[in-house]
Amino acid sequence: MNSNIWILTSANAFTLATTLILAALGALFTERSGVLNLGVEGVLLTSAISSFLAADSSGSVWVGLAVGALVGAALASVHATLAVILRANQIVSGLALVIFGSGLANFLGKPAEGKTVATIIEPLSFGPLTDIPVLGPILFRQDIITYGTFALAIGSAWYLFRTRPGLELRATGDDPATVDAQGLSVARIRIRYTMFGGALMGLGGSWHMLAQSAAWHQEATTSGIGWIALALVVFAGWHPVRLIFGAVLFGFCLRLPFTLQAEQITFIPSAFMQMLPYAVTLIALIALSRPGSKNLRGAPKSLGNPFVRDER
Amino acid sequence: MRAPFRIIFEQRSETPKYLSAFVPLVSVLAALLAGAIFLMATGYSVGETYSNMLQDGLLSSRGFTDTLGLSTVLICTGLCAAFAFQMNLYNIGGEGQLYIGMLGGAWAGLALGPHLPSVIMVPTVLLVGAAGGAAWIFIPAFVRSRYGTSEIVSTLLLTYIAASVLNHFVYTPNSFFRAPDVTFPMGRTVADSAKLTAIGDTRMYPTFFVIVALALFLYWVVKRTEFGYRIQVISDSPRAAHYAGVNARRTTMQVMLISGALSGLGGATLIVGEFGKLDQGVLLLGYGYAGIVIAALARNNFAAIIVSGVLFSGLRVGGDKLQITTDTPIHIGVMLQGAILLFALGGEAFRRYRIRAVRMQAVAQ
Repeated sequence: MNSNIWILTSANAFTLATTLILAALGALFTERSGVLNLGVEGVLLTSAISSFLAADSSGSVWVGLAVGALVGAALASVHATLAVILRANQIVSGLALVIFGSGLANFLGKPAEGKTVATIIEPLSFGPLTDIPVLGPILFRQDIITYGTFALAIGSAWYLFRTRPGLELRATGDDPATVDAQGLSVARIRIRYTMFGGALMGLGGSWHMLAQSAAWHQEATTSGIGWIALALVVFAGWHPVRLIFGAVLFGFCLRLPFTLQAEQITFIPSAFMQMLPYAVTLIALIALSRPGSKNLRGAPKSLGNPFVRDER
Repeated sequence: MRAPFRIIFEQRSETPKYLSAFVPLVSVLAALLAGAIFLMATGYSVGETYSNMLQDGLLSSRGFTDTLGLSTVLICTGLCAAFAFQMNLYNIGGEGQLYIGMLGGAWAGLALGPHLPSVIMVPTVLLVGAAGGAAWIFIPAFVRSRYGTSEIVSTLLLTYIAASVLNHFVYTPNSFFRAPDVTFPMGRTVADSAKLTAIGDTRMYPTFFVIVALALFLYWVVKRTEFGYRIQVISDSPRAAHYAGVNARRTTMQVMLISGALSGLGGATLIVGEFGKLDQGVLLLGYGYAGIVIAALARNNFAAIIVSGVLFSGLRVGGDKLQITTDTPIHIGVMLQGAILLFALGGEAFRRYRIRAVRMQAVAQ
């Protein structure tokens, strides 16, 4: 068996994990503030095509990434307006965002269908480290966004659990009445983190598009990564560091079908390999929600509930 | 810096009748306006695009019958979403249940079709399709009623799995469902006895009337039966339901299975109707997702779903023809769906609350 291909799969798993971590971290910040944004898939798609178009016309991936993040924040602000200010049903609003986002992305992407972007984000060079067998290509041939993302996840854990604003964020998700009594604006905190979360998702979507210099192919570009990211947040028990492990695992599952195809392992029908990541996510989700599972302890207690001061 | 006034939400004790009709109408208009901005920004003609959509989707006789034909499956998926939503269960995997319903219907049409007359066969295809849809939601329903596992994510993940299943049966050589003697992978057409003929020279099938009748029947079930009342009690107050001895677990299971069956039925109508075979093309049409929008716009009212289903169908038919007649991307239709839903949700706030701006001093007093 060709070992190179397995190394490549692992390296790609980290690449994919970057998208997953950014998207899931966005969802995590949003949910920690008590807002449920199911629109991740729509945000990923729209930011992917926006970043593609921006990078294509400006010739700079960094412009692309910035535009993608801004588009993510803009879409999230729609959700924030509906969910926080107008107190709409957050689940339906998130779904609307998915439908709107995928329609918009495909509409904008029509002229770009099948095209690839010229510039890509270069992997960093670590000199001799890159040449270490097996580990070198996996760990030391990624680009700055991948390393930055892993650092960001760790930094987020510190922010959430060790700083004052982090405490306020968690409190807003758990017990908004107390935050309100402290004289802080629940609405403002929720809007802020919903938009920040959207920007992270947008960054994830754009990076997913630009890092692999992939062609734009409508829904195939993200193929449900947004939904896996949402399940990942549950999987990680709303803890940023545990997100990393889950993301690498899911990233590996998502890449595995391609590896097996390349290895010409055909005794498993390819359709069943394609469903693997979704099946793994589903099983993990069910296992974690069984009674006695410690995972749900991290769940923000007023997730999805609008805060209404008058009624308390 | 503080704003000189603040927005006050006052809960309405009673919603004025006119608002219930006014809000969906305004949200459709607002969405069209938002769509116009995107059309202008990308250099398409707004007036031409919309008038073509309206003409091809609703006003021409061809367009109108096409719209009614397409609305058959859309009303099914709308009912699917609404049936679960009314109990605060968010089955958003109607898309996947539709695939499996289509698979089940195709199986019945291929395996049983040659042996049975049409009178028995068509209902059989529809029932097997509905059973397929129900089977596909069984796991999410079971874990939701037992452990409280989020049905939102689980039904959605199963949609991706259902798509792989459907692809598997169409693409695998010598598959039971695949047309033999054709190199291009496509489904095998079901027996003639399992298919209905379109009405006149339209693309509308008699199933449309069956589905409309079903929608009205469900409306009656929810409003007038003990089962409907139980659903209402559980969704309004799970605690009261618990003390009244209502078995919420069983009702959850029943409601979700029925919801899945409705989408499965929608998939089967495609077998007795326009497709007549398992067709991977359905994966790109998003009928199941459209059902969510249709249900939300009708605010889970089963009779109103008929109206919103036809309306949406018109939007789709108009949008699809746009692609052919002009060069406007087909996806403008999907985008408008999402936008309508977003505006309808925003409008809901105006229905439920009286929203006023009040000067800061007034609040302080």
